[in-house]
Amino acid sequence: MMLSTVSSLLLATTQGAPANFWLPKQASTSAQGVDFTFFVITWICYFFFFAIVAALLIFMIKYRRKGHEIIVRGPTHNTPLELAWTILPLILVVVIFVVGMRGYLDLREAPAGSYDIQVTGQKWSWTFDHTEYGATQVGELTVPVGTPVRLLMTSNDVLHSLWIPDFRVKQDVVPGRYTSLWFEALAVGDYNLNCAEYCGKDHSKMFSIVHVVPKEEFPVIMTKLASEYEDMSIGELPAYAINRLYNRCQSCHSLDGTSGTGPSFQGLWDRVSKGEAEFTSGEKLSNLLGDATTYNIPENYIRTSILDPQAHIVQGYLGSMPSFQGQLKDKQITAVIEMFKHLDEVTDAEGNITVNPDGTPRQ
Amino acid sequence: MSTLTPNNPNDNYLNHTKGIRSWLLTLDHKRIGIMYLICILLAFLMGGIFAMMIRFHLLTPEGTFMTQDQYNQAFTVHGAIMVFLVIIPAVPAALGNFVLPIMLGAKDVAFPKLNLFSWYLWIFGLVFFLIALGSGGIDTGWTFYTPYSIDKASSMGGVIPALIGTFILGFSSIFTGMNFIVTIHRLRPKGMTWFRMPLFLWATYATAIIQVLATPVIGITLLLLVVERTMGIGIFDPAMGGDPVLYQHFFWFYSHPAVYIMILPAMGIVSELISVHSHRHIFGYKFIAYSSIAIAMFGFLVWGHHMFTSGQSQLMNVIFSLITFSVSIPSAVKVFNWLATLYKGSIVLNTPMIYGLSFIFIFTIGGLTGLYCATLATDIHLHDSYFIVAHFHYVMMGSALIGFLGGIHHWWPKMTGKMYHEGWGQISSTMVFVGFNVTFFSQFMLGSKGMPRRYATYIEMPEFQVYHIWSTSGSVILALGFVICAIYLLHSCFCGKKAPANPWGGRSLEWQCTSPPPWDNFAEQPEVGDCYDYSVLEWNEEEQGYVWRADAKHPGEENV
Repeated sequence: MMLSTVSSLLLATTQGAPANFWLPKQASTSAQGVDFTFFVITWICYFFFFAIVAALLIFMIKYRRKGHEIIVRGPTHNTPLELAWTILPLILVVVIFVVGMRGYLDLREAPAGSYDIQVTGQKWSWTFDHTEYGATQVGELTVPVGTPVRLLMTSNDVLHSLWIPDFRVKQDVVPGRYTSLWFEALAVGDYNLNCAEYCGKDHSKMFSIVHVVPKEEFPVIMTKLASEYEDMSIGELPAYAINRLYNRCQSCHSLDGTSGTGPSFQGLWDRVSKGEAEFTSGEKLSNLLGDATTYNIPENYIRTSILDPQAHIVQGYLGSMPSFQGQLKDKQITAVIEMFKHLDEVTDAEGNITVNPDGTPRQ
Repeated sequence: MSTLTPNNPNDNYLNHTKGIRSWLLTLDHKRIGIMYLICILLAFLMGGIFAMMIRFHLLTPEGTFMTQDQYNQAFTVHGAIMVFLVIIPAVPAALGNFVLPIMLGAKDVAFPKLNLFSWYLWIFGLVFFLIALGSGGIDTGWTFYTPYSIDKASSMGGVIPALIGTFILGFSSIFTGMNFIVTIHRLRPKGMTWFRMPLFLWATYATAIIQVLATPVIGITLLLLVVERTMGIGIFDPAMGGDPVLYQHFFWFYSHPAVYIMILPAMGIVSELISVHSHRHIFGYKFIAYSSIAIAMFGFLVWGHHMFTSGQSQLMNVIFSLITFSVSIPSAVKVFNWLATLYKGSIVLNTPMIYGLSFIFIFTIGGLTGLYCATLATDIHLHDSYFIVAHFHYVMMGSALIGFLGGIHHWWPKMTGKMYHEGWGQISSTMVFVGFNVTFFSQFMLGSKGMPRRYATYIEMPEFQVYHIWSTSGSVILALGFVICAIYLLHSCFCGKKAPANPWGGRSLEWQCTSPPPWDNFAEQPEVGDCYDYSVLEWNEEEQGYVWRADAKHPGEENV
């Protein structure tokens, strides 16, 4: 333990140290500073711990009572000594404070020109929007190596906290406001990203992988991700939509039949094509469907509901959905409609997604 | 109440009146203390069962036997019971009630009826907790963080009864605190000056100040949370323009000082244990006494260190970090003073002393690891990880509860009039010490290497399993230690040897009355001397205890 700590203290002064007895490997530029602070404190702790325990053991053995006789000896106080052991630790903790504060400020100040990613936490997944490329990732985050990356984060529901242990960064994600953190990854590879703030049932499954990729590959990956649906056939679209688009709907629309802020997607296509819905205006959807009516075919009703949600509000709901005008391309709207039609092929009865974006079955 | 019979040596507080009513309606501080002790130990058993469930569930990355929801309930109920029903009232309400008036030389606390009322409030609090368990359970964590706790759709239905239970327990705590403050100010007999008070009383006094000043804040906060959840007033709910982080400020404004409600009285006990069981005058009395008050005061100014990653401003984080370090100084002073007390002592390694020395060892680790949590750069990484879990168990369980156990053993002969089996006591206390350290030391590495807390599963992080296995193994040793302890303590109630008035050679006033103490504590006003001067005592073989030395001066006249 001691030896490994000695070596880790030395290593902490070099970037990208491997895992040691106490800490995981260093995979970001900030990790080195954090670990240096960590080991400064660790050495202070070792000193005091071993000194205190040694004194404890020596006194226990040396002054062990034999028999019942009362022996009274030793001083009852010593003011200079007591002042000394009040003031010396005070100086020491001020040193620790200063070292820790400087490390913290480095951790907080993102360099100018960082690559920005919008992060949304919701029960129980992370969504990463690369606005620069128009690409969205769920459950995985791809970032370029050697580039400062800034995450601008908010939550759709309760508190979450984004933690990447190998990067030594953590920040709570709060509904109704933005928080941010930044990092610069040191090496290509995969790293764990966890939710660290308790957020309900599947808190421990709110997990993502950070893929750190070479700088030159990053734009290629992002461009491909942003336009992956363009070459897809109509049969491939449901799997794409449920994985890449549904995350924007999920905080209000469930997949398991329970009503949320909006109606569940389960059985939605069935209800719409039969015209079962009734609106707050008293009108029935069945009167709007069919030849020479507002929508003639149900697909047009869904298209309107996405682009102009306030046009018809289903009874029992508040109509708080925002418009997706300009956020979804035509083919993406088609993909959502195809997802509704084939929902039972991409989800199970409990509302779990059963396919990957490329259509292969999900483990 | 019948007349006092001070000169009857067979009359004591246990047999003075009989029947269940004489207990449930008693105004005697000793009986109320015993009732608290029994109830708190039962609650501790309940919280302990949940703890073992947690440990066994985490043996495999997928979890062994609970669903996510069940696990979330288990850690919430474990935390809430242990904090609100066990550790906060343990030392002040159970041991404090029994010992404080006798140590002070008083016949009772200042407000005996209020004292009994506090106990009933504790029972009501417990009832509401049980209602919470029965009405849908509770899965918010003991911290009740918003907006999860106000989200009726996702958090479980027992939140409101649990909040009301905690609110009621808060009043129980406030009344006990008030009672102790007034008792110490007004009921000190002639000669009992502030600086002649045993250090346990200083610690209890400092604790009482926190109880009275901080607890109302959590009361108001929890009521606001009830109103928010039922009526949606929009103070914490971001959907209505409220601020969920504001809740954290309110919550920790109480709950950080509450850490000192838990640890300070235990420190007071340790000051007694170390001095009495080494027959050594406590070293640096005034520094220890003042450090209790300093901890109580600084404790109010550091709550923001629970929120370094919450999104509060960087300036606030820096200020809170700086102030937090100030708390470490009085804590360090206490440890150094205890060590100096042991120096040239006459140390006996009996059960209370093993607990006392365990406290010093464990609190040293708990205190030093606090440095990582107070330091900004490292806390960002360690916050909400198992490192924090390990740190606060070292302080709240390894220190506060072990201090409590040490106190139980120290005053057991006084409370029951019986001696427990010393050999089993030593075995059990050693098992508790070893088991505790195996359970929680491994959790430091678990956290610093990246395991978040409150995780029902760790499927993506199977490398952590080995630490969980260590931790669970330790918890088995720990639990066995407690079971042995329960058995020999119960056994001693019925079959234990009769305890002498002063089995350890203590000097504070409780050792001057018989074991168990008479109904009214003292037939006449006791004379007060230096409660840490052991030179006036000697061993008496016939009594198997310590008695006043024949040639010693009377109390109050010795070397003052």
